[in-house]
This record gives sequence, structure tokens and C-alpha cells, in this order.
Amino acid sequence: MTTSVVPETTGTEAPAAASAAAAAAAAAAAAAAAAPATAAPVAGAKPGAGGALLSERLIADSEPGGRWVGLRATARTLAVKPGFVLAVLFIAFVVVSAFAPGLFTSRDPYSTAPAERMDSPSLNHLFGTDELGRDLWTRMLYGSQLTIKAALIALGIAIVIGLALGVLSGLSGGFFDALLMRIVDVQLAIPVLLLSLAIVTALGFGTVPVAIAVGVGIMPAFARTTRAEVLRVKTLPFVEASRAGGASWPRVLLTHVLPNSCGPVAVLAVLDTGVAILYIASLSFLGFGAAPPQAEWGTLISAGRNYLVTAPWVSLLPGLFVAAVVLSLNHISKTIQERER
Amino acid sequence: MSRRGIAATALAVTAALGLTACGSSDDEGGANTTAAEPVAGGTLKVAFFPDNPQFTCLDPFQTYWIEHRTVIRNVADSLTDQDPKTGEIKPWLAKSWEVSADGKEYTFHLRDGVTFSDGTKLDAAAVKANFDGAQGVVKETGGTAYGASYILGLDHSEVVDPLTVKVVFSAPNSSFLQASSTTNLAIISPDSYKKTAKERCLGQYVGSGAFTLESYKPNELTVLQKRPGYTWGSALSKNTGEAHLDRVEFSYVAEDSVRTGNLVSGAIDISWPRSPITVEDRELIKKSGGVIESRSLPGVASAYYPNASAGHVLSDLKVRQALYKGIDLATYAKTSFGDDYPVVGGAFDNTTPFYASQASKLAYDPDGAIKLLEEAGWKPGEGGYRYKDGKRLTIVFPTSSLSVSSELIQDQLKKVGIELKLDVHPPAELPALYKNGAYDLASSYFTRADPGALQFLLDPKYANSKALATNAAAPETTAKIQALFAKARETTDDAVRKQAYADLQALLIDEGVVFPQYERVQFAGVSKDVHGFAFTSESFLKLNDVWKQQ
Repeated sequence: MTTSVVPETTGTEAPAAASAAAAAAAAAAAAAAAAPATAAPVAGAKPGAGGALLSERLIADSEPGGRWVGLRATARTLAVKPGFVLAVLFIAFVVVSAFAPGLFTSRDPYSTAPAERMDSPSLNHLFGTDELGRDLWTRMLYGSQLTIKAALIALGIAIVIGLALGVLSGLSGGFFDALLMRIVDVQLAIPVLLLSLAIVTALGFGTVPVAIAVGVGIMPAFARTTRAEVLRVKTLPFVEASRAGGASWPRVLLTHVLPNSCGPVAVLAVLDTGVAILYIASLSFLGFGAAPPQAEWGTLISAGRNYLVTAPWVSLLPGLFVAAVVLSLNHISKTIQERER
Repeated sequence: MSRRGIAATALAVTAALGLTACGSSDDEGGANTTAAEPVAGGTLKVAFFPDNPQFTCLDPFQTYWIEHRTVIRNVADSLTDQDPKTGEIKPWLAKSWEVSADGKEYTFHLRDGVTFSDGTKLDAAAVKANFDGAQGVVKETGGTAYGASYILGLDHSEVVDPLTVKVVFSAPNSSFLQASSTTNLAIISPDSYKKTAKERCLGQYVGSGAFTLESYKPNELTVLQKRPGYTWGSALSKNTGEAHLDRVEFSYVAEDSVRTGNLVSGAIDISWPRSPITVEDRELIKKSGGVIESRSLPGVASAYYPNASAGHVLSDLKVRQALYKGIDLATYAKTSFGDDYPVVGGAFDNTTPFYASQASKLAYDPDGAIKLLEEAGWKPGEGGYRYKDGKRLTIVFPTSSLSVSSELIQDQLKKVGIELKLDVHPPAELPALYKNGAYDLASSYFTRADPGALQFLLDPKYANSKALATNAAAPETTAKIQALFAKARETTDDAVRKQAYADLQALLIDEGVVFPQYERVQFAGVSKDVHGFAFTSESFLKLNDVWKQQ
């Protein structure tokens, strides 16, 4: 992999170079930045932005030295990385298919056609057919619907609880911090899959129980990461200054601490989406997923495992699809992480 | 590995598979049928379906797990044997027998010189000890012991002379002679009955079979050793003396594909699955030179049993009849198990004595089903399903395993507007669900070469699951079923028996008590080195004639 260290060319960015989406976001953020408190340097404290501290003047986010310039630069450098673009496009496709599988197939994922049993992949059936003659490509797409939604629910749970616990723990310190972190320690000591299995057995089978189980399972990592970031950010001079200036803790928390500590958490979120998908696929492989005839990705892989030698596509193609999704997410996460540094 | 690397590996694997497929497809591996001279010695490795998780047992009287009945068949002998071809009862430990005119007394004349593997004599007293012990187990378990349905109406047994034993019934039991040939009434040593039922389950008993049980580790390994000096095999085996094999190992493999892989790679000699081997795997085994043996398991076919109690959709006879018409059994058999697979024709498999096909009543007729549902007041509505009083026509089928085949039935029923809800639960939760009546359909099956087998499922007095038996039919229908069973059991006239069982089989379909799903065929993948393979009348594995090419 090419680790292209592009120098921060903050001053030379022309607004026209930004993508439409970035520009829209910048405009919205500029309005929000009207509050005087945001005059302090933000977002990773880039060397170029550091100089702005000398002036009391407010800097618009899109101006040279503003908050969004770095992002635009990032977007531009990333856009020329083919692997990254491919990964983003693939993930975008999967996400769209999760919410509108009908866009990519006209078949019914549940209607059987015994005459077309075990057809190998062809133009007619991209992924072949399963033992009841159902089109596997279609089942895969409708499986995205369940798996991606489960992954999003799991991630939502993990982020909300993890962030809350991490911030509380990091800000309060002392006994409360110690108590929360010991609980998280205990949870980290239990293998995620084992914990998820226990939770899903207690909750019953189905997509939502699986999502909750996985969400609770991957939550401790978020709590830990958030706490570490909060501990780092809360001692920075501008936070202290803001406190000294009379801002309340909640205000400092919302305007300074959270925005500045969410970078690593965002990277972790992308990375853990892949992890969550793997766990969800594992649980549905074991038969804890949605009720038949619905099939999550893991269920599809599991259903074909008896035909691994004789009709490998039934199991392997869904398996490769899951692998591609997780690989793409890891790649995206890693690329962003490199940019963060 | 790069993407290109993965693709290359995948290609290589596919190519390799293709090559092996072409390389060995010339002969159909008919070596097993050649009449070569048997070779003594060797260890036969058999891979079974996993052991019973709820009830690990090897005791003849209590075991219902069919794999273990194969083990028992080779460890313990029975009074009689049953011809797999004709269903006739043949002598084994008993040289001959008489049945009294009223059908209540069976007198068995035992073969002389038979001993258990601990050296004690197998005589009339030992046989009596077995029947006394069986009655004790029935009493202990309140009639739920599996063997209870084999000795219905047994009053007592008595020793007439050292080699003659008389079994006396309070009411005639015409299926007893067949029962005496089964593994469940296999004779074990009197000392074995001094042990507790649980100890016997763990293999602490001694039989008179051609093999002795060396060890039993539940769900791991069961090992049999050849019994030296064995000379009393049933005449239905070619070899009535000592077994050819020295040792037999039964392992338990959960995955069908792994079992097939083990056989093809030579790690095992016989693959013995619970559900039929898939068409693809059969091809694979044949290509490796192996042979596929198959025989329908006599007894109750794999079927759904309704919850017809009040408040459930299946309490309406019209809906139950629509269910028959809405399920395409022929397509189901063909899709799930291959083109040449038999289509189930009623409550019993076709190798069951007194089998009477009901196939004409089970024909696929979606229009007929829709008509019946309309008459019953179920009107089409949202999602293609039918509704009555705002309630969807949903049939809940709790299951512990994700079976793709049930999804075919689900799709077939959807076409007539019935929603079959496959409700997946952990296996341990199912008995409670049945008990609470929280189901509409439950599936079950049962193996015994006699129609009486169905009592173990449908007669609330003897059923394994009382709830399933009670809910399956209205009380008056259950009474009719019990009466027909009694009529068949209490007659000594074969014609009357045949008529009673024919009436029973018709009644079960007419009243919507049994919804056959598929004929249960016992498949076995046999390596090309194994010869003399044979099924018993109950489609278990009989090892007397089996020998292995060294």
C-alpha cells in the first residue's frame, strides 16, 4: 500500500475544488461556528491552523486555515486512491441494496423453483441458485437488508452507550471512573462472540436480538477509546481556557471535548462495522438469525455448507461477498486512520 | 492474499475437483456385490449422526435413537428375527414358538447352548428376568419408557422348563411376535437387570450377540469387539458363526458433508446419516468407488402432527384438508432428495407391514385447497395470505433446526394463502412449547416394523409427548384411533388385523391427524472395501456378514 504523506497545503485550497457535498456541509458548519467559543483552534490542531490563534478574528470554516480546508484536502487525496474509491463504491452499493434491494433485482427472494435447483452462476443467475432453485444473488441482496440493518443497530447501540460511558468516565474521574472501567475490563475479558451468544439465547432468535447482542459485545472498545480521548482533550489549554472563561461542563463537553475526541471513535466505528457484520454473520450462521425464509448472510453461507464440494457457489459466493464487505470497511477505516495522523 | 491470488486458488481448487470427478467415474463400484471369500479381521469404522442429547442411552428396552438400535442389534440377540424382504418372523434365540388360540399366550422354545458374553446361560429364567425387568422399567417411568408400546397388555411370564418360557397377556397383543424380533426386546443377562435403568443406559449390560460392547462414550465413540465362540446367528444371515470383523467403531459426526468427506477420503468405512444423503453427495460417493445402500425405514413416516385443540386454526377440518391439497409432496421428494426418491403415501413408510397407500388423498390440488379455505371463511387479503375476522391464516411450526426443505413447503402453502411460520427455538425449549400447546404443527417420526409404532406418537397413554398426542385430534377421533389399534392388536386373525390397519390409515388422513412430509429412507454410504452389507427388517445395520478387504 502506498502511504502517501501529502503535505498540508491549507492555504492554497480554492472553494471550487471541494466537492458539492463538502461545500454544503461547510456552509452549514460555518453558520454553526458563529458562536464566539469556536474561535479556539479545532479539529486535530493542524500546524497551519495553529497560527490562527494569534488573531482574535473569527475564521470562517472554508477560509484558508479554517476547519474544512483540511477535510477538503483529505477528500482530494483520497479520491485519487483507486482502492479506497473502489471500497467506498462497493460499500455504497451494499448500503443502497440494504435499503432498496429491489433496485438491483426483479426476482422474489423467497419463491422457489425446483426445476432450477442448484444452477451454477450464469448471467441469468449471477450467484447461481440454491437447493430450492431460489436466486442467490437476490437472496444475498435481501440478506443485506437484514445484515446491514443489524450492523447499524449494533453500531448505534455501541456508539451511544460507549460514548456516554467513555465521556462520563473520562470527565468525572476518581471512583466513578474506576468503577466504570473495571466493569468494562470485565466485559473485555469475555470473548465477544461468547457474550453475544449468551445474550441472544436469553433474548430469543431474530435479527434485532442478534443486533443487540453484538452491539453490547463491541461496546467496551468504544467506551475505552472515548475515555482515552476525553482524558487527552480535557487537559488541553483551550478547554481549560474555556472553563476559566466561565463555560459550564456540559457546554465544554458538547462544544470542545466531544467534537475533538470523536476522530478516533469514528475510525473505530468504521472498523467495527466490519467486525459487527462478521459477528452477525457468525450468529446467523449458527442459526440465531432471522426466521426462515428470510436469510441473513451467515444463514446463506450456512445453508450451502453441505454442498461445499459439489456446488461450492451456494456457500462460497455469499462468503466472498461478506469478506469483500468487511475488507472494504477495514480498508476505508485504515485509510482514514492514516489521514488522521 | 491479493484478490488475484484468491481467484487463482479458487480456480485451482475447482479444476482439481473437476479432474478427480472425471478420473474415477468409469465404474459404479460394484465390488460389494461380488461373491468373494470373506476375510476375517479388521476394524470397521462407522460414522453416525450425533448421539441423543436429551437421553444418551444404549439399553435395548429404553433406546429409541435409531443409530443406537443398530449398535444394540449387534450386541444383543432377540427371541426371533424378521425377514426384511417378507416381514415374516423367523427363529433366532427361540427355535420355535406357539401362540394360543385366544392370542394371549406365547410359548417360546429356546435354542440350547446359548450364553451371554459374561458366560451365564441364556435360558428360560433369563428370558423371564428380561420381561420382569421391562415391566419394572415401565412401572418406574409411568409408561413413558420407549419399549412400553412393545409389551402392551403383558401380564406376566413364566418358566415352563429350562428352555421353555411362556409370556402371558391380559389382552391379546398380535404385534408381540414382531416385537420379540426387535432390538427393544433383545435379551440381556439377568444380572444386567440388577443394575439401574441409568447404568444400563450407559452400556452396563451384557448380551449374547456376535459383538460385545467394549466402551461407550456418549456422543464420542462406541466400540464393539468380536465375541469369540458365537454360533447362534439368525438364519437370515449368511454367517451364523463368529463375526468376520474384529472390532467396530461408531463415531458421531454432526455435519453431513463431513461424514461424506470422511467416507470419500477413506477415514471411515460406512457413513450412516439420519436424513437422506443429498443427490450431490451420493454422486460424490459413487465417484469415489463407494456404494450407496438405501432402504425405507419401516414405521411412521416423517410427518407433521396438528394442534387441533380449540382456538387453533387447525381445529377446523376444512383447513386441515386444505393443508393436504396445498402441499406438493411429489415435488418436495424430488427437490429435497432426488428424482428417484419415493413419495410418501400416508402415515407410514412403504416398508411397514400392513401399509395401505393413501396417495390419492394426498395429491397436490391448490385449487381444491383454495376452495376449501374459501368455504371455511378465509378470504384473500394483504400479502397474498388469507384472513378471517382480521386474523391472518398463520400456522406456527416450532423447529430447532433450520431446514431448507421446510422452506419449500412454506412457499407451496403461500401459494394457497397459508402462512407457515417456521419458528426457530433452541432444542431444549421445544418440549415446553408442545406442552403449552404453543404450536400448530409439530413434526415427528418413529421406526418400528409394525403399524403399532404410531401408538408411541398418537395414543396419549403411551406417547412420548403426551401433549402432541392429545392435541393431534379431537377426543372422539383419538378414541376411534385407539379402538382401531386395539382391534388390530387383539385379534389373531391376520385379515381382521389388515382391515383394522387399513381403516386406521384411511382415518388418519380423512380426519386430518397426520400430515405426511416425506418417506424416510435410510441411506448408507459404503466404502468399496466393505462387503456383505445388510439391513435388518427395521433398516438398521447388521454386521454378521460384513467383512473388510484388507
